[in-house]
Parts: sequence; structure tokens; C-alpha cells
Amino acid sequence: MSTPADRAQYGQNLLEIRGLRVAYGNSRRDAVEVVHGIDLSIRPGERLAVVGESGSGKSVTARAVLGLDTDASLSGSIRLGEHELTTLSRRRMRDIRGARIGLIFQDPLAALNPVMRVGWQIMQPLIIRGTGKREARQRGIDLLGRLGVRDAGARFDDYPHQFSGGMRQRVVIAIAVIAQPELLIADEPTTALDVRVQAQVLQLLDELARERGMAVMLITHDLGIVAGFAERVVVMRNGRVVEHGDVDSIYAAPKAEYTRGLLGAVPRLDSDPDRELATVAPDWDAS
Amino acid sequence: MVRFITRRLGQLVIVFAGLVVVAFLMSVILPGDPGRAAAGRNATVAQVAEARHRLGLDRPLLMQFGHYAARILHGDLGTSVFTHQSVLSDIRQVLPSSVELVVAGMIINLVIAVPLGVLAAYRRGRPADVVARLFVLVGAAMPAFWLGLMLQLIFADQLKILPLSGQLSFGVDVRRITGATTLDALLEGNFPAFGDALKHLILPAIALSASFIAVVARTVRSSMITALDSDYIVLARATGAKEWRVVVRHGLRNALVPASTILGMQLGWMLGATVLVESTFNRTGLGAYMVTGVLQNDLYAVIGSILTIGVVFLLANFAVDLIQLWLNPRLRPRRRTSAVPLVTSPAPAGGVS
Repeated sequence: MSTPADRAQYGQNLLEIRGLRVAYGNSRRDAVEVVHGIDLSIRPGERLAVVGESGSGKSVTARAVLGLDTDASLSGSIRLGEHELTTLSRRRMRDIRGARIGLIFQDPLAALNPVMRVGWQIMQPLIIRGTGKREARQRGIDLLGRLGVRDAGARFDDYPHQFSGGMRQRVVIAIAVIAQPELLIADEPTTALDVRVQAQVLQLLDELARERGMAVMLITHDLGIVAGFAERVVVMRNGRVVEHGDVDSIYAAPKAEYTRGLLGAVPRLDSDPDRELATVAPDWDAS
Repeated sequence: MVRFITRRLGQLVIVFAGLVVVAFLMSVILPGDPGRAAAGRNATVAQVAEARHRLGLDRPLLMQFGHYAARILHGDLGTSVFTHQSVLSDIRQVLPSSVELVVAGMIINLVIAVPLGVLAAYRRGRPADVVARLFVLVGAAMPAFWLGLMLQLIFADQLKILPLSGQLSFGVDVRRITGATTLDALLEGNFPAFGDALKHLILPAIALSASFIAVVARTVRSSMITALDSDYIVLARATGAKEWRVVVRHGLRNALVPASTILGMQLGWMLGATVLVESTFNRTGLGAYMVTGVLQNDLYAVIGSILTIGVVFLLANFAVDLIQLWLNPRLRPRRRTSAVPLVTSPAPAGGVS
């Protein structure tokens, strides 16, 4: 489908989404399309933020990349390196999940299995690929320690409810990156955490991505955390990309009215306290 | 952990005391004069009065209860007016056979209900789900004694592949060791007899378990749906795990927590439900013993059986509490408090509370 010129242009991209449409529903007739043909790409080691309000289709896009919604029908193209993910067999897709793309969720309490030890959960991506138990355990403990969990060896056999929120998110991160994926999709990784822990987790993700040369797709509605983390920003609304570009140029001179609205809705320490915060009106044109 | 178990044991004692009180009140309230039953059908008024005095029935209610409770604590459940043996030794004779039947019924229950519930949850809203739910509903809707008769008609009378009734075929003999025929045959090393006893066990066990399967299958289905919808299942998929591993290792472990509560109670209910099955299949057991007791107006035999079922019920639930301790780590006491900072933190203050 892509011309040689396209391939030359985007060939160095790690993940490349072209004209992706996602629809839900049983039959073609009553299917509801929620993502209407978006394009985005991530280069190896790059940090991309996907920004938008609830329902803008950013999480759906992330799940589509991993093929996690079995009742979603996809059209368009999602390429990861040499693989076309939209048409990949289930077995080949499983090889990609966890090993080449890691996923972090919003709510670290819900994302961890409450009846399994955290160590067991961290080791899973390795165990299911045939790594020995002892080696998997050692790598898990090392990683948990690297992620800032003190006394990781002893904590490895604890259960999720024995961990605080920030610690749980570290466990989720450990599960996502232990098999050394090239791409990490972080779906609102800090939303459920308090502000100080948010900063810690973001810094950790930043360090980890640098150390491992791992690309990160940060999905968030919080523009406050984007600027310090991502290099490029994609702004989504109603299942469409309304703006994309370098983080600096978007913050300095947002082109789309929606982006300006989003930025205006964020309170800043240096702004006039008497000025009302903008709201993102629902009737704004999505394009 | 020790405190948890001690507390549960304490509750066990209290509930047992309640059970004794209820059993005693039943003996007082229920129609039928134990004195007359003990003295015999053709006894004179004087003989009945004498029997009443012998049994302590002419004393005040509270004293009667104290006497009764003390006897029960000594393991004396009274004497059956039908077998003229102590009720306890009667029950000791028949209980193993019922336990054998209940265990077989429970195995069938688990083997059918749990996979069916998981399948229905996994394929929810699709044909497999509808068929599975219909199947268990039909099983639950049929009365156990009627289902027993139907099974006999089909598998014993028509197809002739399973025995009609009883516990062993004619000419097959097993020395009584525990009282549970299959186990005794196995202990004796008599494998043909074991097979024979097992064949006799299949139909009654199916009849017994049919109505229980529906409850477990529905519980497993609904808790499995909750589990499969949760984020940790999506995350497990996102690690590249196969569906089997996602559903069984990640999902079912969670769904078993509510199911185990139901299963524990079912163990007690099932022992009571042997009443409906054992007579149909002409098996010895607590159910058949109770039926005889009721028909013969044998009050102590009935109350003794009820107490036995109650005790089994209590013990089964205690066992479930212990199993849940293993299934659900959130029930276990915390090992650590969060007073110690747990994080070597990149933030200056360190520590997450």
C-alpha cells in the first residue's frame, strides 16, 4: 500500500500508523467508528505525547496498536518495524506484546492481579517466553531495585495490596519493560497518582527510556506533564489528529484553536490569578 | 494468622451451641411423643409415663436442656427406638457411605460447573454461553429424586450400562474398613470391586449434583466476567500471555474466591440432599437413615442426623475459610506497616506514605 517514497521517508520509524480507523460493534451496519483515520509515527528512542480530552480516541489508538480489543475492527495500517500489526495472526501478535511493545495503565491498583505476588507478575513476560525461573527472578529483582523499590528482594514476594500507589505503578512499569521492548505505551501513567509521586514516576520513565533507548508513547490529558517529557506532541480530538509538531512549537504557537483552548485550560503559576481559565467548548470544530 | 483461625474456631463453637439449642427445641416442639415412641405402640398409659420419666421428659424444660446438652457433649445422641442402638453408632455406620456420595457429587459439580462457568463468561452473549446456561438451568430445574428415576430409566433400564441401585453388584463383597465402599475396595486392593462400586456411585452422584451445578456455574460465570473485564487481564494479555494462561492463571484464581464460599456451603447442603437420592438408589447413608427415622417417628435419630449435617456444614465452612486464606492474600494480616519509607526515591524528600 505504501509507495517506495513513503517507505524511504518513514522507513526509520519504529511505529507508523497510517489512516487508522477503529470501529466497535458487531455488524458493519451498526458499527460505531471512534477513530477516523489518524496518522502518527514514532522514531526509535523518541518520546511522543498523545494529548486530548476523554473520548478523543487516544486510548483506543493505544489498544489498537497492541490488538487488545477483540471486538474492535481496524482498518488502515499500523506498522511496527517490518510487521503490519492490523493483519498479524494472533500468535505473532502475542510475540509482539510485552516483548516489543510494553504497556502501562492508568490505575496501578486495577492493573495488578490482586491474588498474585508482584514478583510472579513481573516475571511473567520472561517466563512465558521460556526464561528460567531463577534468571527471571534475578532480573525482576534487579529491575524492581532499579525502579527505586527499596529491599526489592524481600518485596518481590509481596502482594499488590501491600504496596502504595506509587510503588504499584513501579511494579506495573517493571512488568512493561522487563522483556526490553523497543516501545513503551504509557496510557495515563500518572493520572491516578498524587502530584509528588507523579513527578517521580515520570522521571523514572524518562531515565528508563534514555538508558534503554526505548521509545515512549505517552498518552495523557495533562498538558502539564507533556512539556518536560516529550519531544513531539500529537493533539487528538473526536478521533482525529487536530495538530502535531515539536513540543516547543506547539506550546509557543499552537495552530489549532482546540490546542489553544487546551493550553488555556491549564493554570500556570505565572498567570494572572484574576483571569478565568478557558474551557474547551464542545462545539469547537474538530479539524 | 493464628488470631484469624482462633476467631473462626470461636465462631464455630458459638454456632454449634446455637445448633444444639435449635435441635433441642425441635424435639420439644415437633409433634410426636418420644415417651410413647420409646415405650412402644401398644404401651399402657402407665408404661408411657414410666418411659417419660426414664427419659427425663417430666422434668422442667431448662433442666431437660442442661441434661440434653451435657449428653451431646459426651457424644451421646440418644438411642434410636427403631434400631435400638445408640444414634451415634448408627450414624457412624451410615455416614461414610453418604460422605462418599457427597464427595463424588462434589467432584462432578466442580468438574462440570467450573469449566462451564468459565466458558460461559469467556464467550458471554454468544451461543456457547446461552447453551451452557440453559444446560445448567435444566439440571437445576429437575427435582433430584425425579432426575434419579429418569437416570435409572435411561442408563440402567434402557441402555443397561450402569447398575440400577445399591452399592455393589450381587456376589461382589468388600470388607468394611471405613464404611465408604469405594474407599474400602481400594484399601483392600480389590480393583474389580472398586470399579463396581464406582459404577454404582455414578448415577446417584449425578442426581445429587444436578441442582448444585447451576449455582456454582452461575457464580463462576458472574465472578469470571468481573475478572475478565478488569485491567489486570488486559495487562496480562499485553505481556503476550496465551489466552489459556490469561483466563485460567490470571482470571480463574480471582473468580474462585466467591465460588469457594458457595462450594463450602454446598457441601453441607449436599449432605442434607442425600435424603432425596439415597432412597431412590437404595443406598445406605445418612439421608436414607433420616428418611427411616422420620417414617418411624424416631426423633433422636432425626435430630442426631440433623446435628451431624450441621457439624459437617460448620467444618466445611471452616475449611473454606482456610482455603480462602490461601486463595485471597488480602485476607491475610499485613506483614509490614508503611511507617518505614519503602522507596529509594528520586524526589528529595524520599519515602511514599
